[in-house]
Amino acid sequence: MSNAPVQGGGAGAPLSTKIANLVIAVLLIAVAAAAIASTGDFPKTMLAADVGPARFPIIHASVLIVLCLILIANTLRMPTVADDTPPVGVAGYAGVALGILATAACLYAMEYVGYAVATVVYMAVLMWLMGQRSPLWNPVIAVVVTAVIYFTFQSALQVPLPVGSLFE
Amino acid sequence: MHELGMLMNGVATLAANPMALLLSLVGVALGIVIGALPGLTATMGVAILLPFTFGMDPVSGLLMISGVFFGGVYGGSVTAILLKIPGTPAAAATAMDGFELTKKGMAGVALGTATLSSFLGGMASILVLIFLAPVLAGFALEFSASESFALAVFGLSIIASISGKSVVKGLIAGFLGLLIATVGMDPMGGFPRFTGGYTELFNVPFIPVMIGLFAAAEAFKSFEDPKVRLGMAAALGRIVPPWATYKGLLGVVSRSSILGIVIGIIPGAGSDIAAYVAYNEARRFSKTPENYGKGELGGVAACEAGANGCTGGALLTMLTLGIPGDAVTAVMLGALTLQGLQPGPLLFKEHGDLVFTLFAGMIFCYVGMLVLGLGSLRFMGRILQMPKSVLTPVILALCVVGTYAINNSLFDIGIMLAAGVAGYFMQKWDFPASPVVLALIMGPMAEANFRRALSLSGGSYDFLYSRPITAVLLTVAILTLLLPLVKRWRAERAGVSGGPVEAIK
Repeated sequence: MSNAPVQGGGAGAPLSTKIANLVIAVLLIAVAAAAIASTGDFPKTMLAADVGPARFPIIHASVLIVLCLILIANTLRMPTVADDTPPVGVAGYAGVALGILATAACLYAMEYVGYAVATVVYMAVLMWLMGQRSPLWNPVIAVVVTAVIYFTFQSALQVPLPVGSLFE
Repeated sequence: MHELGMLMNGVATLAANPMALLLSLVGVALGIVIGALPGLTATMGVAILLPFTFGMDPVSGLLMISGVFFGGVYGGSVTAILLKIPGTPAAAATAMDGFELTKKGMAGVALGTATLSSFLGGMASILVLIFLAPVLAGFALEFSASESFALAVFGLSIIASISGKSVVKGLIAGFLGLLIATVGMDPMGGFPRFTGGYTELFNVPFIPVMIGLFAAAEAFKSFEDPKVRLGMAAALGRIVPPWATYKGLLGVVSRSSILGIVIGIIPGAGSDIAAYVAYNEARRFSKTPENYGKGELGGVAACEAGANGCTGGALLTMLTLGIPGDAVTAVMLGALTLQGLQPGPLLFKEHGDLVFTLFAGMIFCYVGMLVLGLGSLRFMGRILQMPKSVLTPVILALCVVGTYAINNSLFDIGIMLAAGVAGYFMQKWDFPASPVVLALIMGPMAEANFRRALSLSGGSYDFLYSRPITAVLLTVAILTLLLPLVKRWRAERAGVSGGPVEAIK
């Protein structure tokens, strides 16, 4: 046990961090176990001198399970300390969630309306989310940036961007 | 010396061909832009420009491609440092310390250091190529599957060093990356593993994951705090590092350049591996290893010198043996063949004048890269003067389109988004992202070469200890992995302050 100052904080951990460690460890154990179970369907190798397609995934997944168990043990042993980092707050997490949802929506929309329309709307929404709320400049900046990216990739670098199934 | 005389003749020939000089600069400039854009790599840049060289004379065409190659390797560091968007896989290593320096208001010095280190590493590699090519060519032939496996394991052992606060969390990230790296086609039997029927997953989605973990995750984090949203991203500061500062980095640059050259010579090992290995060795030899990962100029210098040192090494193997050192030199091999030149032992004998003119041009390319790089840094640094409320959406838009550009696949954007979400939570709970990227690079190389070596040895595992290079690399890998763990354990037991101690938050 050490009472020495530790890089990045004290010897204990805030409750939220401990919970996160445990949840992540359990999730990863589940993922690793599922991976090991899936390898049961892999065919045996035809080469006598080969270990087969399942060996390495099983090794990686097994080590991952052991490491997660170590993390769980360490986390449970650690004392709980007060959290001295400033809280993010509901508004902050809502902002992150909206940003992620906007990106997912852009991806979904791009298939139907194409790169240009989806990206202009996407950028305008993100700027609004980030606090830039000018009804004039948001669309202008969104259009200009989208056009620059479009020209750079589509015309200069010959990378075709999606047109959208509605416009094909 | 014979080579020096040939080189001087090459310089004279090149000076009489201003179009070749101009096209090489165009190649460098394009390469820097391509390297900076996420999703586009030096390989893609060379492949895109290859058809344009058909109508050019051999020197002009090959120098343009070389310029794209050199500029592409360097260009990835710009966005990695400024925005934490690694433009190339090698730049993911640069981002570790480069972006931390930007957060400290030292973006300019970081960029200047990256540019100078790229120049020095690249120049060293070209000079080695010119004067030592025949001597070193034989080294490439010593590497077979078992040595490549050992090199990959050595690269993976770096995970313990780049784990940051918690080695356990770093190893978890690394082994998760290794597990993800098994998604796709089995390297020996061609069986699709964990693909769920999606053909898009037949190849490891490495670049979308890298963009998501680094760039998208950082962008999502920006949505948290309303106070910083409208502020400026960061200050640029001075561009060129003070000589007193950079002088102290020359040892790091020299060592990293040599590592890059050696790794570049090895077929199948490219600038991404060189960057991480150089970073690890710089950290190992540093008097302040605890500063690495928190904004250490030596980290930036090592990665860039190592990555650019790889270029000459890769070209060496390609030109002398006809074996491409990495994907870029594989495309360049095609370019040479199209120009009527057959790479291999006879190239230097039958086309010596042309080869040394190319070498002179490559030196010019790197000088051009230094000038263009330093000259454009102030302009590129203006990116930081944009308010974050505009910069963050631009970053995400670049992530989306850059990811799409890899395979023209919307599925890849989905992978990038998933990786971005995972990266956001990993950042939040101190799980480092770099080990995942490292594992995605090295994992497939390790597995494929291990199984190949095992087949070549008839199922016997003696290749692990009977081949000297393999045995040495594996031993060093074990020490590299265990030493940080032992040091931390001993520091915990002794209760010594200031040393890296296992901290699990």
